[in-house]
Amino acid sequence: MFPRCEQGWPGLNDPGRWTVRILRGTMSGNDRSGKVVGLIGSSAFEEAFQEKVRNRRWAVALVTFGISLLGLWLLFDVLGAGGWTTLKAAELVLFGLLFTSLSFGFSQAFLGFLVLSEGQEPLKITNTLDEETPLASTAIVMPVYNEGAETVFGNIRSLYDSLQERGELDSFDFYILSDSTDPSKAVEEEFAWADICRQTNGFGKIHYRRRKLPVNRKSGNIADFCRRWGHRHRYMIILDADSIMSGKAVSSLVRLMEVNPRAGIIQTMPRLVKAQTVFGRIQQFASRLYSPIFAAGLNFWQQEAGNYWGHNAIIRVSPFLSSCGLPGLPGKEPLGGRVLSHDFVEAALMRNAGWDVWFAYDLDGSYEGLPPNLTEYVKRDRRWCQGNLQHMWFLLAQNIRPISRIHLVQGILAYVSAPLLVLFVLMGALQAGLDHFHGRVGMFPSASAGVLFLMTFTLLFGPKVLSLIHLFSRSRDAAAFGGPLRVLMGAIVETLFSILTAPVLVWFHTRFVLRNLAGKTVVWNTQTRDSGGPSWSEAVHEYWPLPIIGVVLAILAWWISPNYLLWISPLLVGLILAIPVAHFTCHRSLFGKLFATPEELHPPKELSGDFRLQLREGDQFVHAVLDPFYNAVHVALQRKRQSVSTASSEYGAALANKLFKEGPDALTAQEKRALLTDGHNLGYLHTLIWKTPAEMMHPAWAKALTEYRSARRAVRHQPDIIEAKLASVQPAVA
Amino acid sequence: MAISPEYIALLRVGIRSSPEWREAWDRINDYLDALKTPDSTDRELILLASFERAIARKRGEPFTPATELAFEETQKTLDSSLGHLIDGEIPGVSRSVEERVRLYLTESVDGNLLGREDELSDEVLQALREVKLQAAPSLQIASIKQRPLEFTPAGKGFIGLAKRLSPIGASRVIVWLIGLAILAFLIFSSLYK
Repeated sequence: MFPRCEQGWPGLNDPGRWTVRILRGTMSGNDRSGKVVGLIGSSAFEEAFQEKVRNRRWAVALVTFGISLLGLWLLFDVLGAGGWTTLKAAELVLFGLLFTSLSFGFSQAFLGFLVLSEGQEPLKITNTLDEETPLASTAIVMPVYNEGAETVFGNIRSLYDSLQERGELDSFDFYILSDSTDPSKAVEEEFAWADICRQTNGFGKIHYRRRKLPVNRKSGNIADFCRRWGHRHRYMIILDADSIMSGKAVSSLVRLMEVNPRAGIIQTMPRLVKAQTVFGRIQQFASRLYSPIFAAGLNFWQQEAGNYWGHNAIIRVSPFLSSCGLPGLPGKEPLGGRVLSHDFVEAALMRNAGWDVWFAYDLDGSYEGLPPNLTEYVKRDRRWCQGNLQHMWFLLAQNIRPISRIHLVQGILAYVSAPLLVLFVLMGALQAGLDHFHGRVGMFPSASAGVLFLMTFTLLFGPKVLSLIHLFSRSRDAAAFGGPLRVLMGAIVETLFSILTAPVLVWFHTRFVLRNLAGKTVVWNTQTRDSGGPSWSEAVHEYWPLPIIGVVLAILAWWISPNYLLWISPLLVGLILAIPVAHFTCHRSLFGKLFATPEELHPPKELSGDFRLQLREGDQFVHAVLDPFYNAVHVALQRKRQSVSTASSEYGAALANKLFKEGPDALTAQEKRALLTDGHNLGYLHTLIWKTPAEMMHPAWAKALTEYRSARRAVRHQPDIIEAKLASVQPAVA
Repeated sequence: MAISPEYIALLRVGIRSSPEWREAWDRINDYLDALKTPDSTDRELILLASFERAIARKRGEPFTPATELAFEETQKTLDSSLGHLIDGEIPGVSRSVEERVRLYLTESVDGNLLGREDELSDEVLQALREVKLQAAPSLQIASIKQRPLEFTPAGKGFIGLAKRLSPIGASRVIVWLIGLAILAFLIFSSLYK
C-alpha cells in the first residue's frame, strides 16, 4: 500500500507516541524499522489509525458540544429569569446553532494550539514526505478568466524558474486554461504565452488553451482540460490566477501523492501575500498570524477526510475522471442548476469513491493573493455564498460521508449564520422592547449573563490570544513578523478592524442569502486583484444603507434602554462607520510598518521575482490586427482551425471589412471574438491596413499605425536625414 | 543585391518630390520598426531593393497606390531573405505569417533575425526551419463520468415538499404576508405570556 514509505510516519519512532504503543507488541530486536514499514498499510495499522482518528473526532465533538451546552444552559438561565416567551424560545434555538458553530471554531483552534505547542503531530501527511521519491508526470493547471496577463504569467514564470532551478522541470507541464471573453485580454494572454515561452524556451512545456465558450465556468474549464489531456498526466496541481507556489512545494506534493497511493487530493494551506492596501495587509497579517492553529486543528480531526479549496492543491487525475464528474442539481440557479462552487463537492465525491483527501497544512511555499478592498472582498463572497448554498442538495444526497457533510455544513453556515445572527439580534431587540413596554427591564441574573459574556468573548477572541501565545513562545517566528511589539500592536488594530467590519459582512451576507433564496443569481465577474478601492462617492453608493440602519438601531436601542445601547454598540459602530472604513482601508500608505508578515519582510525567491512581459501598451485587439508579431503569433495558432465553413469565412471577411472601414471600435466584443477565430481574415486585414494609404482608410487606423514608429526614428524622421542616410549607403551598394 | 546609382538618384528625387512615395517610405519604415528591424545597412538594402521594384511597377500600374506597391515589394524582399527558413510546402498566403513568427522568435534587444542569419548556428537555423507554433499539445481524449445525484428518502421528501411550497415562495406578497404573520405571532405570544 505504501511502497516507498521507508521513513513511514515519523511519529512511529517517538517514545510515548500512540503509534509506538500500538505497534510495540509486534516489534522486537534489530529488525524493528523494517517491521514498521511492513506494518504501514496493513490492516492492523489501518485499524489503529482509524481508532485514533475516531478518538480525535470524539474529542472535538465533546469540547464543541460541551461548550455549547454550557452556553445554552447559561442563556436558558438568563432568559428564563423573566419568564418564558415564544420569542425567547426562538432566541434560544438560534443561539444554540450560532454558539455551536462558534464553539466548533474555537475547539479547532484550541486543539490546533495544543498540537503546535507539543511540537510534533504524528498524524499529518507531510510526515510521509521522502525527498528521494521519483516524481511523476504532473500538469500545473491554471484556469483564468479575463485576468491580467502580468499576474498570470508572472506566477507561472516564478514556478517554472523554481522547478528549473531544482532540476525537476521534466516532470511538469504547464497549462494556462483561458475562459477569457474580453477580446483584448484573450489577445494579451496569447501573446504573453508566446513571450514567456520565448523567454524560457518553454515551447512544448508551457501550454495555452482558450475556450470559445466558458461553459460551466471554472469547473467546466478544468473538466475540459481533463477531457483533452487528462490521460497525459498522473496528477494535476490546480492554481488560481493569483496562486504562487515554489518548486519545492509542488514537487513535495507530487512525492506525497506517490508515497500515499490512496490519496486522491492533497490541499495545501496557501498564505496570503502581495497585499498593498490597508485592507489587504490586515487580512494578510491576520491570516498569517491566526491560521496556523486553525489549520493544525482542522487537520487534527479531519485527517484523511479533508476538504478541497479549489486551488493550491494536487489531484490524482484518474479517480478525478472516474468519480468527480459534477452532477446537475434539481431546479434552476441560483440554488439549482450547475454546481457553482465545485471544490467541496469534488472532495466529497473523491471521498465517496474511497480516496483520501489530505490537508498538508504545514507545507511551505504555497501562496495566494487576496481582494484589495472590502468591496472586492464582498463581491467574491457573493459568488461563494451562492455556491455554498447550492451545497445543501448534497446534504440530502445518499453516499456523502459524514465528515464531508460537516465540511458542506460549515461552508453553508459561513453565510447562513449571518441572517441567523441578524434574526437573533432582532429577536433580542424585540424582546427587550416588549420587556421595556412591560417595565421588566433589568431582570437578567447578572452572574449568568456575565459568564456568558465572558464565554462568548473567549470563543471570539481566544483563538487570537492563543495564536499570539504560540508565536511569542517562538522568538524566531516573532522576529520574522518584525518583533513581538509590532505583532501585538498589529493584532490589537486588526481586532478593532475586524469588530468594525464584522457587521458590514453580516449585512452583505444576509443580503446575499436572501437574494439567493429569492431566486436572484450572481453574474460571473472577473475578480479585481490589484486595484486600489472605492472613492468616497463609490463608497457612499455601495454602503449608504449601513449608517442609516446603524443610526435607526441606535435610537431604538436608546429608547429601550441606554444599557441595551451599550450592549449592542460594537455592532452599531461598525454599521455607522462603514463608509469611511471602506474608503480608508483601500489606501496604500497607511500603517506602513504595522501588519508586516514574514513574507513581506523577507520575501522568498518565488515572491520576489520581477518578471516583465514584453507586451505593447493599449488595446491588445488592435495589436492583433496591426502588430506584425502579435498578428503572426495569433494567425499561426489559428492554423489548425482553417477548415472553416464558407459561411464562417464569409462572416469573418464581412467583419474584417467592417473593421477596416469603420475603425477599431466598430465591432462588438462578440464580433471581435468571432474575428479572432478566423486567422485567414485577420491575416488579410493586417496586410490590407499596412498597404493602404492613410487617406483611404479610417483615420483611427492611420493614427494607430504611426504608434509603431520607433521612438528613435520618430525624432529624426525628416526627409533631409533620409537623403543623408541614402547618400551614406550609396558607396556601400554602388 | 545590385542597386544602381541611377536608381538611388531617382529615389532621392522621388522622395523629395512625391508626397505619395514619401508616405510609402514612412509606412514601410514603420513596418520595419514594428518588426524590430534595427537601423543598419541591411535595413537600407531591404528598403532600396523594395522601392526600386515598386517604382518600376508603378510605371506599369499607375493607379495602384505607392504604399501598396512598396509594401508588397517589401514583403517579397523579406520572402527572399527568410524563405529558406520556411518549409517549401507552406502556401504563399501563410509564408508571411511564418516569416514573422521566425523574426519574433529570434527577436532580441539588438533587433531581429534580418541580416543576422550568419550569426546563427546550423542547429538554430534547422530549428527555425522546423518550428511550428502550437499552444497546446495533441489531444489524449478522456471522459469524466458524471453520476446523477441520488437523494435519501428524507431528501426526496424534502424536495417534494419544497416543490409543493414553491408557488407560495414565488409570490412576494404571500412571502411578506407569511413573514408578517410569523412576526405578529411572535409578538402576540410574547406579549401575553
